[in-house]
Amino acid sequence: MKKIAVCYKWVLSDTDIRVNEKSRELDLEKSKPQVSEYDRNTLAAGVALKAQAGASAVVGVTCGTVTEGSSKDALSRGPDAVYYLDDAVMASADSSTTSKVLAAMIKNIGDVDVILCSEASSDEFAQQTGPRLAALLGYPSVSGVAAISVAGDSLTLDRKMADGTEVVSVKPPVVISTVPEVKDAPIPSVKDILGAKKKPANALTLAGIGLSADAVKPLFTINSVLAPESKRKVVRLNPEGTSIDDAAKALIKQLSTDGIL
Amino acid sequence: MADYDAIVVGAGLSGSTAAYCMAKAGLSVLVIERGEAVGSKNVTGGRLYSHSLEKIFPGFADSAPVERKIVKERISMMTAESCFTVEFASDRLKNPASASYSVMRANFDPWLAAKAEEAGCDVVCPAVADDLLRDGDKIIGIRAGEDELTSDVVLLADGVNSLLGQKAGMKEELSPHQVAVGCKEIVELPKGAINERFGLNDGEGVAHLFAGTPSNALVGGGFLYTNKDTVSIGLVMTVGGLTTSSLRLPDLMEAFRESAPVKPLLAGGTVVEYAAHLVPEGGLRMIPTLSRDNVLLLGDAAGFCLNLAYTVRGMDYAIASGQLAAETVIEAREKNDFSNAVLSGYVSRLEKSYVLKDMKTHKHAPAFIEHTKRLYKAYPELAANVLADIFTVSGPSRLIIRKTLPKIFKAGPFGLLMDGLKGSRAL
Ligand SMILES: Cc1cc2nc3c(=O)[nH]c(=O)nc-3n(C[C@H](O)[C@H](O)[C@H](O)COP(=O)(O)OP(=O)(O)OC[C@H]3O[C@@H](n4cnc5c(N)ncnc54)[C@H](O)[C@@H]3O)c2cc1C
Repeated sequence: MKKIAVCYKWVLSDTDIRVNEKSRELDLEKSKPQVSEYDRNTLAAGVALKAQAGASAVVGVTCGTVTEGSSKDALSRGPDAVYYLDDAVMASADSSTTSKVLAAMIKNIGDVDVILCSEASSDEFAQQTGPRLAALLGYPSVSGVAAISVAGDSLTLDRKMADGTEVVSVKPPVVISTVPEVKDAPIPSVKDILGAKKKPANALTLAGIGLSADAVKPLFTINSVLAPESKRKVVRLNPEGTSIDDAAKALIKQLSTDGIL
Repeated sequence: MADYDAIVVGAGLSGSTAAYCMAKAGLSVLVIERGEAVGSKNVTGGRLYSHSLEKIFPGFADSAPVERKIVKERISMMTAESCFTVEFASDRLKNPASASYSVMRANFDPWLAAKAEEAGCDVVCPAVADDLLRDGDKIIGIRAGEDELTSDVVLLADGVNSLLGQKAGMKEELSPHQVAVGCKEIVELPKGAINERFGLNDGEGVAHLFAGTPSNALVGGGFLYTNKDTVSIGLVMTVGGLTTSSLRLPDLMEAFRESAPVKPLLAGGTVVEYAAHLVPEGGLRMIPTLSRDNVLLLGDAAGFCLNLAYTVRGMDYAIASGQLAAETVIEAREKNDFSNAVLSGYVSRLEKSYVLKDMKTHKHAPAFIEHTKRLYKAYPELAANVLADIFTVSGPSRLIIRKTLPKIFKAGPFGLLMDGLKGSRAL
């Protein structure tokens, strides 16, 4: 087997996203980018597959904005190298443009015959990148993969279905979309993190992979992102001077009016 | 050969300072920090006296993420119904050699750690140093998960509850009377509102300390520091005080935030963060073994912190101890001798510096603060009573001395005198 490429996305951590209670808009200021949770498992699967299949290398591939900062984190998860494309125009990328860029990057890297993507990213969850990438490269696309094993020059893939498992056999080149069960992602150890500094992080540019800025124009625009309407009533039961007893009585009354008690 | 000259456990102020100074001198240094991000686990009230860092990074405040320069000091004595405040504003507070800044550790610590990294240190975060690595009795590095990492010297800058310091046999397990508990909230407010409410210009801040009701009239006090577009408020209480308190720390915190003097200052603000942390408070008596073969203790791990009832000071000591530890390790590297023969030079350096001198100067402070209960109840009440008499008019006037003397007698003039004397020797 030649090279394995694992696509990963550098997304904002959702734990620090705050919601403006009035406008329901998201405040992203405090949240920091990280390797998408699902992609950590996929990277682990790629590393395991390299060992099992004796592939020549496993590389991480990403495109987006501020992706340069992703390389150390991604490399600490086991790939031999990463390739990143960091361009401000990618801020408005959608699945169609992302897959176009990834396809061009993978061709540029060369010698890649297994491409792993997570079924979806933890921010957009569009579930399109893997299948689109397969179409653009002209490779078969296998989705929902929960286990990968090597059988001669083929791969045996367990596809997780709603009510069972389908086992398929495929010969690379292939694009595989994985579900998190595919592999647990260990927390990188100190030596993994130190080792990451010594591995190559390669910057690719749109021009370098033969794409114009026009080619990455998104096909749709996002008008708004709003958090679900909060159903909180915001009733204060202990305004100035209310005793605990009275507040407790008021609370019981409120809860029974609302049909909770 | 060891993997590194030095491994530093903890990327707080003491650890990153030491790491930076050692790397600058060409030593190979690994820093291990267990927080999700550098600084994310660290709590301070908020005031950094700049003199310590000024020696390492002259003019650092121009580029470091400090919040505001403290140009105004306030101290309040609070009772349930009154608040007596003194304010001191002075250009002398702005003098670079003695200036202080409000800081937020989530911003400040990453800046310092980045300096260490730029100087050539490997900074690994998040990663926990679980244990010391030994070859017989000799400490030769640390264990982090499954990884073993070796170094000629290990600098323990792992904070007040230094588990590795205990494992190295340099510290005892913390006992309740050696620590205070601090909690803090960060309240977000527009910068303009902070400037207006506290009477500040851009970049200027206030430090405000509170005695009396905030600690439920027990040993401890409240603090408030203005940041760029947030206000830090919090309480520090001794564990002894807390165990006798009728109110729990979160309830006291809530009551403090909602109290008459504080509430209007924070009106319309949102609490965006809550944190709690231990504060070393044993003073000189609590100082552990500071050096042994191949190991040094720094900052809070070494107990370099002063809790002077209403205010805590530890960050400048942490930075200074980091610098002195680095000097010692650099000497040990030159002599290629990491035994206590050379490393104990750290203790002599500390003794010559203000770090241990201050601990000695204030050696009676912990006992004074713990035992002088009047500081938290009788005196705030006395201040409130005297001032209420002076300022409330409801009929014929009396001489001020007639009004105040009985109050002072009620508070116990002898005790007041003794506390004054003892306090002047302790604080
Ligand atoms: C509420 C409160 C208010 C305060 N107010 C002030 C003030 O206004 N002014 C002032 O000067 N001081 C103040 N202090 C004291 C000051 O915050 C401390 O003295 C200072 O933080 C000590 O710095 P340090 O680097 O020694 O330790 P810390 O800042 O505690 O850093 C220790 C670091 O070690 C890491 N660590 C611990 N164990 C491990 C491990 N096993 N492996 C890896 N990493 C580990 C921790 O995550 C942490 O980052 C206050 C403290 C509190 C709690």
